[in-house]
Amino acid sequence: MLRLEDIRLRLGRFRLAIDALHIGPGEYRVLLGPTGTGKTVLLETIAGLHTPDRGRILLHGREITTTVPEQRNLGVVYQEYALFPHLTVFDNIAFGLRMGGERGREMKKKVGAMADFLGISRLLARRPGNLSGGERQRVALARALVLRPHLLLLDEPLSALDHITRDRLRRELQRIHRQFGITILHITHDLDEAFFLADRMAVVRNGILLQEGTPEAISRQPATRFVAGLMGLKNFIPARVAAGGAIAVQDLGHLDPGLLASPPPYPMEDILLTFPSWTVELEPDPADHALWWQGTARIRDVRRNDSQVEVELARGRSITLHATLSRREAGRLSSMPGPGREVRIGIGREGLHWLPPGDE
Amino acid sequence: MKSFRILFPVAAILLLLLLILPLANMIVSADPAILASTLADREVTRSILLTLRCALRATLAGLFLGVPLAYLLARWEFRGKSIVQGLVDLPVMIPHTAMGVALLMIYGRKFMLGGLFERLGISFVGTEAGISLAMAYVSMPFLVNAARDGFAGVDPRLEKVARTLGASPWQAFFLVTLPLCWRAILSGAIMMWARGISEFGAVVVLAYHPMVAPILIWERFQSYGLRYARPVAVLLILICLVFFAGLRWLAARSGREE
Repeated sequence: MLRLEDIRLRLGRFRLAIDALHIGPGEYRVLLGPTGTGKTVLLETIAGLHTPDRGRILLHGREITTTVPEQRNLGVVYQEYALFPHLTVFDNIAFGLRMGGERGREMKKKVGAMADFLGISRLLARRPGNLSGGERQRVALARALVLRPHLLLLDEPLSALDHITRDRLRRELQRIHRQFGITILHITHDLDEAFFLADRMAVVRNGILLQEGTPEAISRQPATRFVAGLMGLKNFIPARVAAGGAIAVQDLGHLDPGLLASPPPYPMEDILLTFPSWTVELEPDPADHALWWQGTARIRDVRRNDSQVEVELARGRSITLHATLSRREAGRLSSMPGPGREVRIGIGREGLHWLPPGDE
Repeated sequence: MKSFRILFPVAAILLLLLLILPLANMIVSADPAILASTLADREVTRSILLTLRCALRATLAGLFLGVPLAYLLARWEFRGKSIVQGLVDLPVMIPHTAMGVALLMIYGRKFMLGGLFERLGISFVGTEAGISLAMAYVSMPFLVNAARDGFAGVDPRLEKVARTLGASPWQAFFLVTLPLCWRAILSGAIMMWARGISEFGAVVVLAYHPMVAPILIWERFQSYGLRYARPVAVLLILICLVFFAGLRWLAARSGREE
């Protein structure tokens, strides 16, 4: 559907370098990356607002690299919605239709139908300045969708909303995707958003595509420490690989390479062992075979939120471990863990993964 | 905290008084009978109309050439942008008589562009075209800077979205950008017009005749003294005040309606 090949673009000091990106028809693709990493430039390049110095962009097999934005029919929705403040909601939605030469009853019908679909019919006579964040976002979506674009490009569309409106609009985006069968490229720095919406995900950093796959696959097997950190992993333990493939993990002892989905290739000597914080158990059953390691650690910090307890632990001189417990699991402990206390912990076999060192 | 709340308003009021006092004094002390006879003086009315007309022409030229430059300064990043910005501000920095001399050395009959225009039948020395030219040079920064700030205040993503919705760059400019910053441009145009009307230095070098109002005031002051110069000055100030207040009121009213 959309294919980017060997794209290179220089904008001031920023460089975009995408070797290959392919988005299939009807796919909901999320581009995940921290703020200021070039995601918007990539989106605007696809929309035709920047012309790449090199490479090709193909839409439905047709090259559009130098096609002007007004002839691409790609819908764009920005974080702050970019609604035309001097026009009413109706005129905002009708803007693209008018540019395409539509007038009269047919145009009004299309605007009305889209406004109905997104539940904003009662707002048609109002100006964007008098709307809430959620309402503005719906208007921006309606304005883009009414043109039935080949592809909908969403630039951090939910970031400026409160969490209740954000949750509601996430479901709205899911509904739009299903009902219209439209291909969506959604950029965000929010991992929850990516997991909730994405069929597939791509991780971007400094204008470079680091990894692609389903959220689950990237989460289980991140390619680098940076990707792992972005996917919410916090446990990174230095380890060494011996000639026979045996792995010695700092302060934790030996690890059977067979527990890893793919063992590190020899002669890679220094690696990082990583595992999700939910696989770290406090006061585990000593006979639990689902654990690959058991030992003690000292609690450094405990943070609680409405559903979880996050425990930061110190093992040996330089190892920091992170455990995430549900409030229910924390309640089952013999006593609530507090900083400074020595506690017995276990690390599960599930989710064990190795990473090349470096690349913070 | 208390001193802050007192000192700033006091300083502001002081400055406003300094600004208003000479004008108010001149208007209040003007004899209505003399004002009426000045208004009947054909030389005065001709001079004031000439001034308004030439300043208007300069402003229209400013809109045509200055608005695109303002847009580029607001939207584009390019090497030497600060130098271009400095060039725009230059007429405000240098003495206007010096600017008049500089213009004479370019647009004078014996010089580069002047000779070229002369062949096309346009002369700038001692003509209305020369007055407009001098006014445009010295007052352009007011329009360009106001328009640039106006354009900079419009989110560039609005233009980008318009393009993705099918608008050409021209349509995006006229349907999105301009409706959102026309008041800033109008405000700059009013400033430019006002500055053009009050211009003396550059005009006096390039086109002493036909006599614009500031030169007429100067000449009457030099030849006959304050008593004869004052009514013309009061009349010019009153006419300008009425025009500017009217234009600003119109702009503000349209803003509220939007």
